[in-house]
Amino acid sequence: MFMHVFTYRLKCLVRNRQTVFWTLFFSLLLATMFCLAFGHLTSEREKFEPIKAAAVDNQAYREDVRFRQVLEHLSQPGDNQILDLVIVGKQEAEKLLEEGAVFGIIAVGGQGGSNPGAVRTQGGQAEAEAETETDVDTDADTDTDTGTGTDTGADTGTDTGTDTITLTVKERGLKQSILKAILDEYVQASRTVASILATNPGAARQLAAELQQRKGYTEQVSFSDAVPDTMLGFFYALIAMACLYSSFWGLRNTVDVQADLSSKGARRSVAPTHKLKVVVADAAAALVVSFAEVLALIAYMGLALKVRFGSQLGYVVLTCLTGCIAGVSLGHFIGTYVRGSEGFKTGIMIGANMAMSFLAGLMWVDIKHIVHLKAPVLAYINPATLIADAFYSLYVFDTHRRFFLNIGLLCLISAVLCTASFLRLRRERYASI
Amino acid sequence: MQGLVKRYGKLVALDHFSLQVHEGEIVGLLGPNGSGKTTALNCILALLKYDKGTVEVFGKPMRPDAYDLKRNIGIVMQNVAVFDELREEENVDYFCGLYVEDARERRRLVDEAIDFVGLGGFRKYYPKKLSGGLLRRLNIACGIAHKPKLLILDEPTVAVDPQSRNSILEGIKELNRQGATVLYTSHYMEEVEQLCTRVVIMDQGKPLATGTAAELKAMIGRGETITVETYMLAPDDLERIRRLPNVTQAYYKDNQLRVHYDGGLHNLLHLLDYLKQREIPFNRVFSEQPTLNDVFLEITGRHLRD
Repeated sequence: MFMHVFTYRLKCLVRNRQTVFWTLFFSLLLATMFCLAFGHLTSEREKFEPIKAAAVDNQAYREDVRFRQVLEHLSQPGDNQILDLVIVGKQEAEKLLEEGAVFGIIAVGGQGGSNPGAVRTQGGQAEAEAETETDVDTDADTDTDTGTGTDTGADTGTDTGTDTITLTVKERGLKQSILKAILDEYVQASRTVASILATNPGAARQLAAELQQRKGYTEQVSFSDAVPDTMLGFFYALIAMACLYSSFWGLRNTVDVQADLSSKGARRSVAPTHKLKVVVADAAAALVVSFAEVLALIAYMGLALKVRFGSQLGYVVLTCLTGCIAGVSLGHFIGTYVRGSEGFKTGIMIGANMAMSFLAGLMWVDIKHIVHLKAPVLAYINPATLIADAFYSLYVFDTHRRFFLNIGLLCLISAVLCTASFLRLRRERYASI
Repeated sequence: MQGLVKRYGKLVALDHFSLQVHEGEIVGLLGPNGSGKTTALNCILALLKYDKGTVEVFGKPMRPDAYDLKRNIGIVMQNVAVFDELREEENVDYFCGLYVEDARERRRLVDEAIDFVGLGGFRKYYPKKLSGGLLRRLNIACGIAHKPKLLILDEPTVAVDPQSRNSILEGIKELNRQGATVLYTSHYMEEVEQLCTRVVIMDQGKPLATGTAAELKAMIGRGETITVETYMLAPDDLERIRRLPNVTQAYYKDNQLRVHYDGGLHNLLHLLDYLKQREIPFNRVFSEQPTLNDVFLEITGRHLRD
């Protein structure tokens, strides 16, 4: 009898095209749109392209061996390549900048610096077409600042004298800022070396050795090997929403089993089949359908949209299953406790789902953190937040403590909703039909 | 069903309603919309709570968990109760499967039910593809497939074309011949009269009269009414017609002679003999038997379809 009810219920649900659209294809559509809308953010951040720049091939550049070596080092092909450098004449460099083929022109000497040792910006900064120049004084003129008059070209045997390094850019941007930062770093290091050697010429060897080993005084600690990704928050919330959309199936079940809501419910109620058996068989069918749909969504995200879910597939599946149980339970609960027509109940359910998904960060990621801070209880009773957080904790943390806390809470919520629903459904005589 | 009282707030839907149905009967519950027919059926089926009274089926109290009793009851709802997502034969199989576990036995019963309602050519059709009449037949097939001993039908012919209606009524008679006891509600008096061996006329939650159609008609003391189209009738002829056997009332208006009888045989023959004898020319002649509507009108002062 159980299998008879279950099998036919499965057929009924799978053939219900309208609900299948909302519970499966709508989620797939949203996932695709998320990917199209936000996907490039992730890819831009992850793929660093060497910055195209031009160095002016003049006498000063050729004589500044140390600077040339630095630029060549930064331009060496490989994972650590920062610059994509071309060495051309001044006019050619300007032409490349104008055409947008390079982001900046690096020139040694020529421009001089009215304020040696400092970064100077010239020209109209706010206008896109205006040219911005950044002058960086390297060494000899440091005499005026430091008063030491030390020649920093001692290591290379080349004294650049009064030469100034100039960066010319066409507009402001991330890549231009990186170019400027590189040159600033070079100037700062040169001046530091010059300053130290001026006071302690004997420290040259030790200094050279220490410069080879840059030491950071802050350390980034990761909870796992995963790379944090804000985009994932959206996808997790979407899966949470898809799980909660299982409530459509739960609601459908309650309509078809209650005599006061449908004639089918009345006919089933007068049949000699125990109500619990019918309710459980229906719920099992709803769970199978919704679980399959969410797995399809995960597969689509993982295989087609290349969303990373970490390596813990078993836990991912467990999260989906628990989420679907919570969704079906929620549908049963709303179907039995909200009074009104099926349309009214559906409206309430959609509203509840959207509200929970919003609080889980589907539309605005930060709301999840705000809820955690301002109303943590809400986060612990919102199935959407729990599902999304379970995925997130799987991805971010190596331990499963927080994951199982979420799963446990989801199970608890499902149990409460199921019990409450059945207590209401088993009321086998109705006040009115 | 004994002394059943069912209230919806201040509205009394069933007012000490009692009904007894004997094995092999086709009992018709006849009453206007809102008279309490469906409420009575839902109480019998233990779907509705009621305030007072008792319901027994097959001599045992009817409760929601009386599965042994439910196994022998078939129900055909007023609204079509089938799944749109299941094909015709799947629907019948599903509902039959709630009563019969054995798959082979169920297969046989489903085939029989489909053939019985004449839907053999539509087995693979989804309900939405069926016409209103065919859909009603499917609704009946779902209710009778498990061969119930007691079949309860709640206005099964609403919005059904005459051809399908006759087919449905003939089917119900056949089920009764096969041994099913039938409880049938309708506000179509012709149906009830044609189908039922006993009729219960009810209104405002109360049974007003019970008996066979003939007994109910006899109860109001009115026989047939004969109408004759004639263009000349002298007043003394009208007076003589009033003195013919069994005539209770006669009047002539708008070239029509209407004569009411209180029973008796060969009334039409006697009237036509008189007209022939008096050489009174006439055109069309109508004879109307009293209806259950007349009974209802006599008892309540209202028509059944008010």
